Amino acid sequence: MQTFVTETVDWPDTAPALREQVRTLVAEHGESDPVRRANSWTKADPAFSRKLGEAGLLGMTWPKEYGGHQRSQLERYVVIEELLAAGAPVGAHWIADRQSAPLLLRLGNEELKRRWVPAIARGEAYACIGLSEPGSGSDLASVRTSARRDGDEWVIDGQKVWTTGAHVSHFMIALVRSEEGSERQAGLSQFVIPMDAPGVSVQPIVDLTGAHEFNEVFFEDVRLPASALLGVESEGWKQATAELSLERSGPERYLSSMVLFLELVRYAGAKDDPALAQLVGRLAAEAWTLRLMSASVAAKLARGEDPALEATIVKDLGNSYEQAIPQLVQAAVDFGDAEAEVLHAVCFYLLQVSPSFSLRGGTREIIKGIIARGLGLR
Amino acid sequence: MSDTRRMLAEMADPLFAELGPNASEERDLSRLEELGLPLLLVSEAEGGFGGDWLDALTVFRLSGYHALGIDLPALVIQRAEGVDRELAMAFARSCQIAGALDAALALSVGYVNERQQFGRPLGRFQAVQQSLATFACEAAAANCAAMGAAQALDRGAADFEIAAAKLRANRAVEVGTAIAHQVHGAIGFTQEYSLQHLTRRLWQWRSEHGNDAYWSAKLGSRVIARGADNFWPDLTARTD
Ligand SMILES: Cc1cc2nc3c(=O)[nH]c(=O)nc-3n(C[C@H](O)[C@H](O)[C@H](O)COP(=O)(O)OP(=O)(O)OC[C@H]3O[C@@H](n4cnc5c(N)ncnc54)[C@H](O)[C@@H]3O)c2cc1C
Repeated sequence: MQTFVTETVDWPDTAPALREQVRTLVAEHGESDPVRRANSWTKADPAFSRKLGEAGLLGMTWPKEYGGHQRSQLERYVVIEELLAAGAPVGAHWIADRQSAPLLLRLGNEELKRRWVPAIARGEAYACIGLSEPGSGSDLASVRTSARRDGDEWVIDGQKVWTTGAHVSHFMIALVRSEEGSERQAGLSQFVIPMDAPGVSVQPIVDLTGAHEFNEVFFEDVRLPASALLGVESEGWKQATAELSLERSGPERYLSSMVLFLELVRYAGAKDDPALAQLVGRLAAEAWTLRLMSASVAAKLARGEDPALEATIVKDLGNSYEQAIPQLVQAAVDFGDAEAEVLHAVCFYLLQVSPSFSLRGGTREIIKGIIARGLGLR
Repeated sequence: MSDTRRMLAEMADPLFAELGPNASEERDLSRLEELGLPLLLVSEAEGGFGGDWLDALTVFRLSGYHALGIDLPALVIQRAEGVDRELAMAFARSCQIAGALDAALALSVGYVNERQQFGRPLGRFQAVQQSLATFACEAAAANCAAMGAAQALDRGAADFEIAAAKLRANRAVEVGTAIAHQVHGAIGFTQEYSLQHLTRRLWQWRSEHGNDAYWSAKLGSRVIARGADNFWPDLTARTD
């Protein structure tokens, strides 16, 4: 058994220049408040997204015909790891650039591609993911939001929930039941739903930190043209789960608390405390390892393989790491110390948001179940 | 994987499996010498195998996988020219840990798929599945870390990477050995059953050539000395 077949990652020759470009851009526009820099891929800043679009750093791998830049997958990887490590506010375009546009390019009809993809590459159009419903969380195959045919149109009714960024998004890719009376994975289809379509309404859900990032989305007799169907009717389950490796192994799965680690390094520099040095060493070793693992999956994806097991392993380890950082910092640092003020603020923010790390994108238990299956259990 | 490396693995794997935990230098060294393994890192010009550090990873990992009774990495590193032996041994132990963890995981998965309780294989129980998934993540991390250190050695200076890899491997030992024994029940606690050859070595290798405290202190003071703003640029410069 070899759990993780790593191969040498051939980092692109352009990597140093790309890093420089991103670092300069972030320094010019980035976020200076360290609390806002934590978990930065949920922080929406349309002005920054447009800037990235202008700089050619969105849609990097897509065809020029659709506004892309035809660069390699690993060049894109370099850019996104730089953005996340710097805590840049990439939330507005994150989902659209990572998964919605690639899905549209792979399965969408010409009309859908022309309408959305170039605007995403410019950093002007944003997307949200419509999977979860009040009755369907981990058990996604139980979704009930429905699409029914009416002449040339589809009519959508139902509700999605926990929809990140629905309030800033221009469209949703939703998984809905398009075949009446169908069960489980059968009879599901994906639709591209413009958020300004009549009958779509968005209600904010405020999270425990007081922030508004996710929402409830209601559909009441939402009429869509036939072209809104994405890919093949009733193939929605396969389509929606096919690209999960891309979603699960990215650097966003281990870097959400990087800002806190860096603040810890800064603080430890002023303290000369062996216990803090050891903590820094342990967290640095883990960051180094996770970066290798995540990049190794990216390299395999770039070669057209689907390293599903490895990708899932990266998510589980990465999420555990991002969650451990605030816990370990709290245990090690006396927040009564005036010099620990920044560390304290970032740590408390992350303590509060970090429970979501092992929920979003598939819960820890579901992820471990997938790993177990990959090992040949059950 | 290069062709020579694949060939190396195909030669070493069955031999290590055959010699196993009871191999001894007195009796079996010649078998290793037949394949040129102790001279793995000696250049071809000097009559050696002329291998690189990725080759070493392959051989060291397999020696761990089969809990080889001979400390082959020590023999290889003794004979190699111009290496920092202490660092190289820390690297070697990381590779052996990676291999032994994968072997213990394979043994555990095989066992829970066979062993029946409550009328079904243990592997059907979600609690057992989740434990083994956790184990797999740790084994994967140790393997990936060993690979990263080998790549760095082939590029040149690798003290940061070896420190990180040994530390990561050490931490994986704690989780991996505990879960391997837990899912095996009493049988894993016997001398007769093969798990002990792996886990007892894993505990030994965790201590040898730098325990967690040693490497975390070393790595930590180095990162702190470089400063927060250099951490990420340094990390990426290592691979670019
Ligand atoms: C910050 C955040 C952003 C999100 N953004 C989006 C989004 O944009 N779009 C979207 O569609 N969804 C989104 N989600 C929803 C997310 O996908 C769900 O929270 C997740 O799938 C779990 O569903 P649930 O919350 O209903 O929990 P449940 O499924 O009810 O699970 C509760 C607990 O029970 C465990 N559990 C459930 N089933 C099993 C089982 N079979 N075995 C063992 N344990 C089990 C779970 O692991 C979990 O620990 C987001 C969630 C968060 C926290």
